[in-house]
Amino acid sequence: MTLRNLLIVCVCFLVAVLESTIPVLLPPFMRSLRADLLLAVVLYLALHDEWVQGAGLSFFAGYLSDLSAATPAGIYAFLAVLTFVIVRTTASAFRADGGLEAAALAFVASLIHALFATLLFKLLFSDSSLSLHIAWLGSAFATGLGAMPIFALLRRLDESLLPAGETLGPGARARAR
Amino acid sequence: MQAQNAALNSLLRRYREVVFVGLFLTLPLFVYFLRDQKRWLDRALIAFTAPIEHAIVVAVGGVTDVWGNYIWLVHTRAQDMALRQEMLRQRAELQLAGEITTENARLRGLLELADKSAPLKLLAAPVIAVGASPHSHTLRIGRGTNDGVQAGEAVIAPEGIVGTITLVTAGYADVQLIVAPQAAVPALSARTRGRSTVRGTGDLSRCHLDYALRTDELVEGDLLVTAGGAGFFPKGLRIGQVVNVQKRATGMFLGAEVVPAVDFSRLDEVLIVLSSPSELAPLPVDPASLRPPDAHPSPGAHDTGPRP
Repeated sequence: MTLRNLLIVCVCFLVAVLESTIPVLLPPFMRSLRADLLLAVVLYLALHDEWVQGAGLSFFAGYLSDLSAATPAGIYAFLAVLTFVIVRTTASAFRADGGLEAAALAFVASLIHALFATLLFKLLFSDSSLSLHIAWLGSAFATGLGAMPIFALLRRLDESLLPAGETLGPGARARAR
Repeated sequence: MQAQNAALNSLLRRYREVVFVGLFLTLPLFVYFLRDQKRWLDRALIAFTAPIEHAIVVAVGGVTDVWGNYIWLVHTRAQDMALRQEMLRQRAELQLAGEITTENARLRGLLELADKSAPLKLLAAPVIAVGASPHSHTLRIGRGTNDGVQAGEAVIAPEGIVGTITLVTAGYADVQLIVAPQAAVPALSARTRGRSTVRGTGDLSRCHLDYALRTDELVEGDLLVTAGGAGFFPKGLRIGQVVNVQKRATGMFLGAEVVPAVDFSRLDEVLIVLSSPSELAPLPVDPASLRPPDAHPSPGAHDTGPRP
């Protein structure tokens, strides 16, 4: 495991802890605004990592979600890798280095992720509701806001580890090696 | 042979990305089907992250308390007056409840139906975290096997039932909420005494009502309480209210939804219904206060008490 991968794993742990505790600390009326910060990490990986490394780290990020979801293990890990594959496949269409672009991408990705999660639950548990929840919008908004510092943190981390002259972008890590 | 190996290596190198990404996509399916295996890795990771979550909540909560209790006291006097009035009103209600309890005991004695149900052993637990994903339906609480908590035990709040313990470590436990898609609770209508099943949908504000007979005459606003039974919640605890009742033209059952009695986004503390005596003294909580006034066990029925 490279130093960069180890640091991404640490960031995933940190993000999972924050994601779990922030809703408890917020005032009750704001608790439905739950940001999916691990999804923001997956999006960053999809835009900047090579396929194998990014898929592996996305699997780990999803597994951390699985840990505290009390659903059969594997569901969120599958969703994270699926999100990675979809965004990575279409990565050339995006230019989200941070800021509002990252927020917009995370907002849309969060809604799609919620839809996939609901479809998967519907498939596995027939009683799952398929209706469009208004809570998704609040969650997507919070994810968009949360994506900005996550992208900034990961970008700074990458810039400190990349060789001089190398720029970030899809497959940048692979080229660096 | 050497040429064949070289061709195979070349092929693997060319499709390396596809193979590995396919592996990472299918690996969760293996994890999913091996879900009954020992989850030692899960427990280890929870044991690592839960104390950090607990420390964050305690630290931030402490700062908030200092601010709220000593600095931000602008509306204290008005609140004090309101609380005094509320206390007077509740005292009057308590007096009335005491009379009802006395009358109830007298009637039970008359019917020779002594309540054989064991008192619930309740243990208070702070909520220290929620499921990491916004689509998860779990809480993490600050009690574990060291406090006598076991997997499968019921978790309740003063407003009604919350969920069941799914995963326990030494100091922490995960609670699966009743709104999770894989959750189901046997229910009883407090008014008609008709039986049904409340199933989670994944929506925090709604559950499905299954197997409610059309002849039960359920109406909007009917209160549902737990039906009890081995391995389930103790009998008579609030689940929620019936809404959107749909009587279909055919079939035995009616369709309806249930609004849970508990607002899961506002839980700061919960109560665990211990299934065995713990070394720790449980909090002196009166189980009767958790039950709706009209949800006492019907004649001939016994409270199931805590279950393993």
